[in-house]
Amino acid sequence: MKIALLGNPGVGKSLIFNQLTGLGIEVNRYPGTSVCLECGNVCYKKEKIEIIDLPGIYSLDGNSEEELLVRTFLEHGGAEVIVAVLDATKLERNLYLFTQVTEFLPRVITVVNMIDEADRQGLIIDGGELSSLLGVPVLLTAASEGREIDRILPLALGSAKIATLQVPYDHHIEAALKSLEKTLGSPRSKSLLALQGIGEDRMLLDAAGAVAHEIELRHHMSVRQIIATNRHNLSRNIATSVVRRGDRKKTYDLDSLLTRVFPGVPILCAILFFLLLSVFVIGSWMQELIVQTFTTYIIVPFTALELPPLVERIGFSVLIALEAGLGIAFPFIFTFYLGLSLLEDTGYMTRAAFLADRAMHRLGLHGEAIIPMVIGFGCTVPAIMSIRILKTRREQTIAAFLISMVPCSARTVVIAGIVAAFVGIFWAFSIYMIVFILIILTAVMLTRITPGEQFGMIVEMSVLRRPQARLVLAKSWLRIKEFLFIAMPLLIVTSIALGLLQYYGVTEAFEQLVAPITVTLLGLPEYASTALLFGIFRKELAFETLAVLSGTADLGSVMTAGQLYTFAIVSVLFVPCISTIAVLYRQLGARIAIMISVYTVFLGLTIGAIINMLIT
Amino acid sequence: MLPSLREDYLEAIQQFLEKNAHSPRYAELAVTLGKPESLVCSDMKDLVSSGDVSLLPDGVIALTGKGKQTGESVMKKHETLQCFLSEILGMDTATASDEACTLEHAVSDETIDRLGRLIVKRDGLGQHRWGKHGKGAGISPRAENDHDCECPSISDCDEGENVIIHCIHGRAGAKRLLDLGMVPGEHASIKRKLSDGALVVQIKGCDVALSPEIASAIGVERSS
Repeated sequence: MKIALLGNPGVGKSLIFNQLTGLGIEVNRYPGTSVCLECGNVCYKKEKIEIIDLPGIYSLDGNSEEELLVRTFLEHGGAEVIVAVLDATKLERNLYLFTQVTEFLPRVITVVNMIDEADRQGLIIDGGELSSLLGVPVLLTAASEGREIDRILPLALGSAKIATLQVPYDHHIEAALKSLEKTLGSPRSKSLLALQGIGEDRMLLDAAGAVAHEIELRHHMSVRQIIATNRHNLSRNIATSVVRRGDRKKTYDLDSLLTRVFPGVPILCAILFFLLLSVFVIGSWMQELIVQTFTTYIIVPFTALELPPLVERIGFSVLIALEAGLGIAFPFIFTFYLGLSLLEDTGYMTRAAFLADRAMHRLGLHGEAIIPMVIGFGCTVPAIMSIRILKTRREQTIAAFLISMVPCSARTVVIAGIVAAFVGIFWAFSIYMIVFILIILTAVMLTRITPGEQFGMIVEMSVLRRPQARLVLAKSWLRIKEFLFIAMPLLIVTSIALGLLQYYGVTEAFEQLVAPITVTLLGLPEYASTALLFGIFRKELAFETLAVLSGTADLGSVMTAGQLYTFAIVSVLFVPCISTIAVLYRQLGARIAIMISVYTVFLGLTIGAIINMLIT
Repeated sequence: MLPSLREDYLEAIQQFLEKNAHSPRYAELAVTLGKPESLVCSDMKDLVSSGDVSLLPDGVIALTGKGKQTGESVMKKHETLQCFLSEILGMDTATASDEACTLEHAVSDETIDRLGRLIVKRDGLGQHRWGKHGKGAGISPRAENDHDCECPSISDCDEGENVIIHCIHGRAGAKRLLDLGMVPGEHASIKRKLSDGALVVQIKGCDVALSPEIASAIGVERSS
């Protein structure tokens, strides 16, 4: 038995999902997309029930990946029962999606959530009336207080119904639907999509296209507009008859601070700075703790075993990979994800997008791009995956270039471990400055040469609310699990491969080969090239390998401050890691992935050479 | 034959043709008009001699080029007048149709065009009715693509102003805007405006942030 939660973004679906399933959540990537579906199992009356949290969407006839996914899900009857979650404070707008859902004729129950917030705003909702208008059971809930959540499952299993509600479309549209049904036997939901040019059935599309053109000529309006207006009108009629407006309790509107240039922009900068600073500080502290424990209790005993050289090499590589994953990436990325989830759950990120819109326009992007950029400070891989919220190829390309350059937490490890530790904290920040300047210059260049059109920002501002610790933790845990799931196997495999290369002396040959670049151009010791090479696999490996190859953890004793600084900046800029290249390839194709790799190598070497010239 | 009778016949034939996708026979036309078949038969002879219709085998009546033009023009006049009478003046549909039948023979093309434009404008303003006024009323077929529209854009309005959405130009983003409730006739208010023209618009109880270039594509009317 499968039950799916469906609704607009930010209606509290995830909270309901979490309360229904507990923390036992699995994330499944839907075939052919990069959209994640969260699934969880519960046992109810000795029956196993799978609950699916569909991504939040505004409409079922759009062409974004999320909309496409939910549409196919409904078309193929992906779940026996749909739980349509509506926001009580925005009932009218939420009903718009509901009117579309009913067209696919699933068995539905309706959950009107955030009834507590509606109370505060003085909105009283007549659940009985709503139920009789929609023709399905209605439950009024307040997920943040856990009110009535336990009634969702019994209701969904016992009394879900196919809605009786049907949108009365304009008579030309209705006529077209009837004739498409008569001539091609196409169901209402499919014909409606075909009239808007969506679908795969050529015959149906052609027939619908001809009728749609005729209708547009008559109405001076596109079919999409007509259909949307009809749906909105029905939603309004329903909302007016079930919502009563009482007195609104006065609350202070934080947006009067957050969305103005002053003090909004300083607040935005402070929040981002604080986020990065805490990741830097807490991450370094946790890293030291974990790495020390790991080395003392696992790596040292392992080397004391004195196994045969090849076995020792492989075993050592695996351990190093585990140490790097858990001890280095984990503290930084988890701390970052905690902060990010916290920010997202307050609803602040949409304000950030609004304020950043202007600055982002200068970079050839728009406000929404700030979200992937910020995620990029944690890990480049999910950041690149999230650029699909940008709508044109041009914006995605520019964003991919810039995000690949944003210092992710692994690069933070390099900067903290090499520059902050041996050269000075001020110099560590200067690396950030150099990177930011390069990002801006790159963006200015890209906006001129990237073909394609720009698309602006259309973002619904989320409601500001107090984040819930449990939900923030669950979200961060889910993200870090995903990271470990993608990164860990790759870490172990590449670590073993590199160990073997080193064992058979291949890396030495490589050092000889690129010595002119390393030594002459960058002024670094020969073995630094191997460290940089390892950095392609994982950025923080560059730092560890350098320590291993130089034979001491006290890098300051074997390299000059200038060399360390050059090494750090080259490895920060130099080629995104292999996981990034893989995800770039998947999202944007081989051409862009190669271009970004080549560009960053070029940038790293050039900047490295310039700095080397400046100090010698 | 009276000119108005001729026009009525041509209109009826054209209407029949559009509705059933084939030209009518005597009997069918007689049923549509509610006249005896013999009368229709004799009147057709007059129309053949005036060059408006030609008679095909099996008693099928086909319009000539000239006849078709007149038929279509009268039909359009009828639809526009009926729409005007029922939707704007609020008469009931049957009376409006009867009245339109009389008026359609005397009204000039220009009057019809102007009426057509008036109706479209009213429609756009949130009557949420689309009558049968349709064809050739003088505005380009898609409001989305209509760059000649003269209404001010939402980015010309100031913080705190209330507006009614009038039209959305350009295809880009139109879909998401529609989904968020930005359809013609919807009331909205401007909650925040930054100096570069980025807006926070409140619509259907939700706040929506818009880039300047998106905002400038939304035509509005100011309301109090």
